[in-house]
Amino acid sequence: MSSKWIRTTAAAAAIVLAGSITACGSDDTSSGGSGSDQTVKVGGIFDLSGATADVGTPYADGIKGFVKDYDRQGDGPKIELTSEDYKYDVAVAERLYSRLKSDGVVAIQGWGTGDTEALRVKITADRLPFMSASYAETLTKPSDTPFNFVVATSYSDQMRIALKWIDEQSSGAQVASFHHDSPFGESPQKAGAQTAKQLHLGFQSYAMPAEATDYVPQLRRAQSQGAKFVVIQNVATPAAQLAKNIAEQKLDMKVVCLNWCGDELFVDLAGKAAAGTVGVMPWAPASVKADGLAQPRTYLSKSGGSLDKQGLHYVQGWYTMALMAEGIKRAAGKGKVTGESIKQALEQMDAFDTGGVSAPVDFTATSHAGMKGSKLYVVKDGKWSALTKLENAS
Amino acid sequence: MAAATGIHHTTYGADLALRHTRAEHARLALMLVALVALPFLVSPYWLTIVNQIGIAVIGAIGLNILVGFTGQISLGQGGFLAVGAYTSGLLAARSGFPFPLDMAAAVLVTAVIGTLFGLPALRLKGLYLAIATLASQQIILWVVTHWDAVTGGTSALVVPPAVLLGWQINGDMSWYWVIAALATLATLAATNLMRTGMGRAFVAIRDHDVAAEVIGVDPFRYKMLAFFVASAFVGLAGALTARYNLIVTWERFTFDVSILYLAMIIVGGLGSISGAIYGAAFMIAVPAWIEDLSRNLSGLAFLQPDMPAIQQLIFGATIVLFLVFEPRGLARVWQRVQEYFRLWPFR
Repeated sequence: MSSKWIRTTAAAAAIVLAGSITACGSDDTSSGGSGSDQTVKVGGIFDLSGATADVGTPYADGIKGFVKDYDRQGDGPKIELTSEDYKYDVAVAERLYSRLKSDGVVAIQGWGTGDTEALRVKITADRLPFMSASYAETLTKPSDTPFNFVVATSYSDQMRIALKWIDEQSSGAQVASFHHDSPFGESPQKAGAQTAKQLHLGFQSYAMPAEATDYVPQLRRAQSQGAKFVVIQNVATPAAQLAKNIAEQKLDMKVVCLNWCGDELFVDLAGKAAAGTVGVMPWAPASVKADGLAQPRTYLSKSGGSLDKQGLHYVQGWYTMALMAEGIKRAAGKGKVTGESIKQALEQMDAFDTGGVSAPVDFTATSHAGMKGSKLYVVKDGKWSALTKLENAS
Repeated sequence: MAAATGIHHTTYGADLALRHTRAEHARLALMLVALVALPFLVSPYWLTIVNQIGIAVIGAIGLNILVGFTGQISLGQGGFLAVGAYTSGLLAARSGFPFPLDMAAAVLVTAVIGTLFGLPALRLKGLYLAIATLASQQIILWVVTHWDAVTGGTSALVVPPAVLLGWQINGDMSWYWVIAALATLATLAATNLMRTGMGRAFVAIRDHDVAAEVIGVDPFRYKMLAFFVASAFVGLAGALTARYNLIVTWERFTFDVSILYLAMIIVGGLGSISGAIYGAAFMIAVPAWIEDLSRNLSGLAFLQPDMPAIQQLIFGATIVLFLVFEPRGLARVWQRVQEYFRLWPFR
């Protein structure tokens, strides 16, 4: 090895060390103050470059967009959002959580099932309210997870609503429940089996392997079951492939999407095969009329963007942050903003109205399941249109 | 490592010593001082990273014994970490096993399961063995996520805080001492193991298994032993992951983790204990450092939307450059730096 290479290595090591020391010294441990002129620090753990970045990015953009719009309006304490990309890697989420805690955040916006589950013990110990786009029913009980707030209709309730609708269309029908082979996918299966039994529907679960390029073998099994309805608990890309497979195989099966399958990406990817697909979607797509869509639409058009391009997940992020901001604002009205005071404010405030974008969001001290119902939408002329009014799970 | 010129050993004890020169002893003392001072010098955030590195060091040493020293490639690291984590977590949460007995059990169980999954190594080599061990990763994760009655299936397993002789180990500072002590012990154990007959048998099998058999090394015994010992280290890392994070989720042990650990020992230096340490530190600290750097570049607002991609690009490019300029890893880079300064400034 030449001495030049050693000098270069030594110089690089020095720069790395200097950078680390700078980074070590730059942590600010201040927390939220009191009064309406205070600045409240909120952390964000998003997926901007990992496995779910296609939907994680607009969701994160929605949260960031809301904070900018909210701070510009000045109606309440200023929110300082510090967010990082966790690349859908649980170990990175654990590390980033430590950083956000050091930064003195009083609440956290997370993303998927992995990070939400992995951090639930820590956020409980540190008393930091945590909202994410993981709607597992297991996170809705304050006795187990007091600082997790499940903003939207849980996956289990989405499944119940889907099965109720199926029962109304065709009593006693056979239902094939296709799902991602993960906790996210498994989450509503138990509730699905129970509800189907109550409604006298046939119900069978089919795992969708992550590596599969088509789902014809699983569809053949569903065909043998006599399935007339296919409920999908998966993200848009594999769901669109499944819808295409159903169309190619000319199977007489109606697709019913739950939350993560029902979005604009699914319609784009599935093309003609998406026609007639029904979606149990807690958040309104950008293509329908809802008063609550005006605010993100105006903000985006002013900042050179477009809600039609950003889509449903932007709205989802926007209103998840709006809800947290409402909790912060109410907590600030009573004094110092802390994780505990935000939690109390969220539990005590009246149902939060999203202007028709979703069902009203209501938390109590005994339930952190924000929404009890969801509207249903249908794909018509290449875009989502309203199908039903608000349907309740029970 | 190259011995310094003019060192003569006159006793067996001196010959067997890990360190021979005053400079080496001074460096050891410095290292110990640095280890003790480290948690007081870094921010809480960097202490979390240091703890993650400490756990990864133990796992990477285990993998390096198997891949770097014995030449048995393994893509099942994530699965074996899961075995350690779930064994420790379940024993602590469900059976009330006291700490550190749950960890000892996790080490043993992972070693046994690792040995079972190592059986194909008797017939398979290279890429074929890689695929066989990949199957172990898939099988273990499948069992973990589908064996509801024992593991709780896909639900997260909450683990109670560890208590050692009345001391509740909670928070990064407390865990630092436990992890640092265990990582040091693991390093010492592995370094000494490689100087024993067993360690040399591992290396003989790696270099030429037929020749090793001809000179009397039993491939069956030593390949199985390599899987047993390596998996024991990995089991300890898994158990620490569970106890440190207070929760076990299967998503912590995916195939990506297996690849990450392989990258650690390749970047650090295959067949080198210190390489496993450098590699673990590199693969965990550098992405965090790049994040810090990008945070400090807030002036370049136009780059912010693409920053996640840029971070990954820089990290990937750094690995490629390291491997191009020094394929034998960071351990070799450090060795060369030492050699250079040994004669400095008379070079």
